[in-house]
Amino acid sequence: MRLLMLGLDAAGKTTILYKLRLNQGVTTIPTVGFNVETVTYKNVKFNVWDVGGQDKIRPLWRHYFSGTQGLVFVIDSSDRERIDEARQELHRILQDREMKDSLLLVFANKQDLAGCMTPSEVTEKLELQKLKDRIWYVVPSCATSGEGLFEGLGWLSNNVKTDIKAK
Amino acid sequence: MSDKASSIQRYSGASFIDNPNPHVEYILVAEFALKGGPSMEHQYPTEIRGDEHTLAELMLPDQIHKRESDWTIFFLHKSADQVDPNAEQDPTGMPPLVYVLNLVMTKYEKDAVRGARCKAMAICTRHSFLHIYKPILLLALEEYFKSPTLETLAEVYESVNSMDLSAMPELSTFERHILSMSDNKEMFVEKFEEAIQRIQGSQAEEDRKSGPGVSSPDDTTSQSYIDLLQGRKKPLGRLQISRDTHEFETKVVYGKIPVPIKIPVAVMPETVGDFSLIQLITTFHTPHAQNPQPFALHPHLTTNGPFTHPIIILINALLTEKRIIFLGHNKPSGLVADHVLAACALASGGILRGFTRHAFPYTDLSKIDELLRVQGFIAGVTNPNFANKPEWWDVLCDIQTGRIKISPRLASAASDPSPSSSLFSSSSPSIPDTGDNAFMESILHSITSRYGERAIRTRFRDWIARFIRLAAAFEEAVYGASALWVGSEEDLVVKGHGQVWPDEISKNRDLQANLARIEGWRQTRSYYAYIQDLVQQAKTLPIKSLDLQHHITRLRTLPLTPADSARLYIALNQCVVTYEEINQFLCHVPENQGGLHPIALGLFHPDPKARQAVVELLERIGGHVAGKHFFGGLGRWYRLAFVRLKGEMVSKGGELGSPRGTPGGLGMAMGDGGLTMGGLSLS
Repeated sequence: MRLLMLGLDAAGKTTILYKLRLNQGVTTIPTVGFNVETVTYKNVKFNVWDVGGQDKIRPLWRHYFSGTQGLVFVIDSSDRERIDEARQELHRILQDREMKDSLLLVFANKQDLAGCMTPSEVTEKLELQKLKDRIWYVVPSCATSGEGLFEGLGWLSNNVKTDIKAK
Repeated sequence: MSDKASSIQRYSGASFIDNPNPHVEYILVAEFALKGGPSMEHQYPTEIRGDEHTLAELMLPDQIHKRESDWTIFFLHKSADQVDPNAEQDPTGMPPLVYVLNLVMTKYEKDAVRGARCKAMAICTRHSFLHIYKPILLLALEEYFKSPTLETLAEVYESVNSMDLSAMPELSTFERHILSMSDNKEMFVEKFEEAIQRIQGSQAEEDRKSGPGVSSPDDTTSQSYIDLLQGRKKPLGRLQISRDTHEFETKVVYGKIPVPIKIPVAVMPETVGDFSLIQLITTFHTPHAQNPQPFALHPHLTTNGPFTHPIIILINALLTEKRIIFLGHNKPSGLVADHVLAACALASGGILRGFTRHAFPYTDLSKIDELLRVQGFIAGVTNPNFANKPEWWDVLCDIQTGRIKISPRLASAASDPSPSSSLFSSSSPSIPDTGDNAFMESILHSITSRYGERAIRTRFRDWIARFIRLAAAFEEAVYGASALWVGSEEDLVVKGHGQVWPDEISKNRDLQANLARIEGWRQTRSYYAYIQDLVQQAKTLPIKSLDLQHHITRLRTLPLTPADSARLYIALNQCVVTYEEINQFLCHVPENQGGLHPIALGLFHPDPKARQAVVELLERIGGHVAGKHFFGGLGRWYRLAFVRLKGEMVSKGGELGSPRGTPGGLGMAMGDGGLTMGGLSLS
C-alpha cells in the first residue's frame, strides 16, 4: 500500500517514519527532498513517502500524488498558530484529482506536549466534517514514544479498498 | 600562435580584475532554511540574473540530510542578452555554457535549531574541467561555516581567479586529438617549453621596454632546440614543465595554502568534469553479464535484438535523442552527475556535439516541468519517484540496480520502418549483426586487462567515427549524396572516401544492421551540428585532396595490388608535408591501430619510387614534434630498413626532401611556433 506522508515543516513526519521503520526514536534534521521506506505491519507492506514540508517546497508535493492510496497528514498539535495554514494545505491536496480515491489519516502528533490540541479540536480546526466522499480518521499520536502510530496503520489497512490492496 | 605579438599581449595581460573572461564568474552560497527550505545566502561578485530559488534547490540536493557531504554539477544557460557581445561563442553561435560545481555539507551541531546546518557553496566557471576546483571548495566551505560572510566568498573568488594559466600551451584541434589518443607523457613537451620561453621573453621585453637593441620575442623563437632543453634545466622560478604533458600543473593559493591544480591540456568537446567511462560501463555491464534480461524492443535502441548490450542501448538512445534519466536512489548526487557526464562523452566521442547542452547532471522534481519541455535530454536524479513516471522518460538507467529500462510507452509507440529500409531489407528478413556485442566484449576485455580510461575513450571515439561513416555511406546509397562528407571525388588525387569494406556484401550487411539508428540519428541536433562542423572544418583542413582515413584503412586492412599501394604511398608523400598536415595525418595512425605500421610496410615495396616516397614521408614524420614518437614506436626491423634505404638513396645521389620543393628534409623548421627539430633517434 502506497502512503504519502505530508504536513508542515517540523510536524514530526520523519520521526514517525523512522519510529515505524526501526521502532526506535531517532533525532531528525529537516528533510531535504524526501525519505522513502517500506514498513510491514500485520502482513501489509506500506511504502511510505515522507516529503519535506517547508513552504517553498510544498508545490513539489503534487509530484508524489499519483498512485497514493493513503494520505498521512501530520499535525503538530502544539502549534496553534499554524493550524490554519495546515488546514489550507490539507484541503488543497485533497482537491487534486489524483488524490480523489485516497484515504486520509491525520496524526494529531506531539500529544505529549502540554497545552496541545485534542484530536477533536484538530478535527474541528481542520474542518474535516466538511469533507465529502472521503474516508478519514484522526489518531492522537506521539512519534517519539510511538503511541498511536500502529493504530493509524491498522486503520489504513482495514479501510483500503481490497482491489487496491491486492495490487 | 602565428600572431606572436598579439598572443604575448594577451598573456602578459594584467590581473584578473580587468579580465573580461575570468576563470570563475560567480561564487554562490545557499542554505537549507528551517522555514523556507532552499535559500540563496550570498552571491559574489554580483547576483546571477534568473531564479535564485531554483539555483538554491540545485545546490541542496535531495536527501542531503542523510549524508555529510555531496557534490553536484549543473549548467547555467545564459540567454543571448545576458552575454557580453565580445565574449567567445561556441561554434553554433550559442553562448557557451556556464558550468557549476557545487559542494554541500551537513553539519550536525547540538546547538543548532533542529540539530544541523546544511550549506552549499558553488563555483560557476566557463572551464569544462571544473573538477579542478574540488580541493578549493572543500577548504572554502569549511571556512564559510566558520565565518558566513560575503568577505569569505570574495577571498575564494580572488584566489581562483588569480590562477596563472599563461604558460599553458595552446594546441590546435589536431594536436589535441593526437595528445588525447597518446599515453606518451612527453608528447608535445616542446609546446610547454615554447610557452615558457614566450613568457620569459615577454617579461624580459617588459623589463627592458625602454632599452633599444635588446632581444625581441622573435629571438626566443629562433633559439635552437638544444637551447630550449638547457633552458628547462635552468631554475625557472614558478614556471615548471609538467611531468605529464596531458596535464598542465599550476596552483591556487587560498588562505595562504598553495593548492596544486592539474589542468587537462587536451580537452575534447563534450568532456565536462572528471567522469569515468569505465565506471559507467561497469555499472551497467555487471548485472547484464550475471543475469541478462531482455529489453522491450525498439528499432532505434535494440539494434542487436532483446539482448543488445545495455551500453549500446544507451549510445543508441543518445544518438537518436531520447529522453534519458540516470537514477541513483541512495547514491551521492555527485556519482549520478558523473554517470550523466560520462554518457555525454560516450555518445560524443569528442566528435559529435549537443549532448552536454541538453544534459542536467543533477536535477530534481522541482525542475520537471522545464525538463519535459526539452526534446531529448540526459538528466541525473536521486528521487526514485522518477521510476514510477514512465511518461517522463524513454530510457531509465538505474545506477543502484545497474539496469537500463526502455519505457513501455516508447516501446509500444515504436514507429514503422521508414521507406528507405526496403532498399536493404528486401533480401533478408532478419536484421544482421551490428558487431556491437563483439565490440563490447573487446571493450570489457580491455577494461579487465587494465587498459586505462584514455584507451577506452579512444575506442568509443573510433566507434562513433565509424557510425558516422556508415551513416554517410547509407545516405550516399539511399539519397545519392551525403552531407556527412564534404568534398568531391574529382578533387581527390587518389579516388575513394569514407568507410572501407572488403566487398559489397559486407557493406550491405553493415548498412542494414545500422539502418534504424542511422535513420533515428538523421533527425537530431547532433546530426545537424556535425554537418555544420564539417563545413567549418573543411575551410581550414590542411589535406583535402586525399581521404586519409579511407586510404590508411585500405593499407591496413585490404590486400592492395603493388600498383595501388605505390600510388597511395606516393600520394601520401606529396600530401603530408607541412606541420599541420603531419598532425592531420597522425590523427589517423593511432597507436592502438598499429601506428605507422601500415606506412612502414612500404619500405619493402617492390617499386623503388614507392620505397623512396615512404622513406621521405617517414623522415618528415620523424622530424615532427609528435611524429617522432610515432616513428620511435616502429619496430627495430622497420627502423633498420629505413636507415638502410636512406643510406642507399643518399649514396645514389638522390635528393631526399620535400616532394613539394620546400627546403630540407632533415632538421626542417616545423613552422607554427618556430620549433626546430634535431635528427632522428634510433635508440
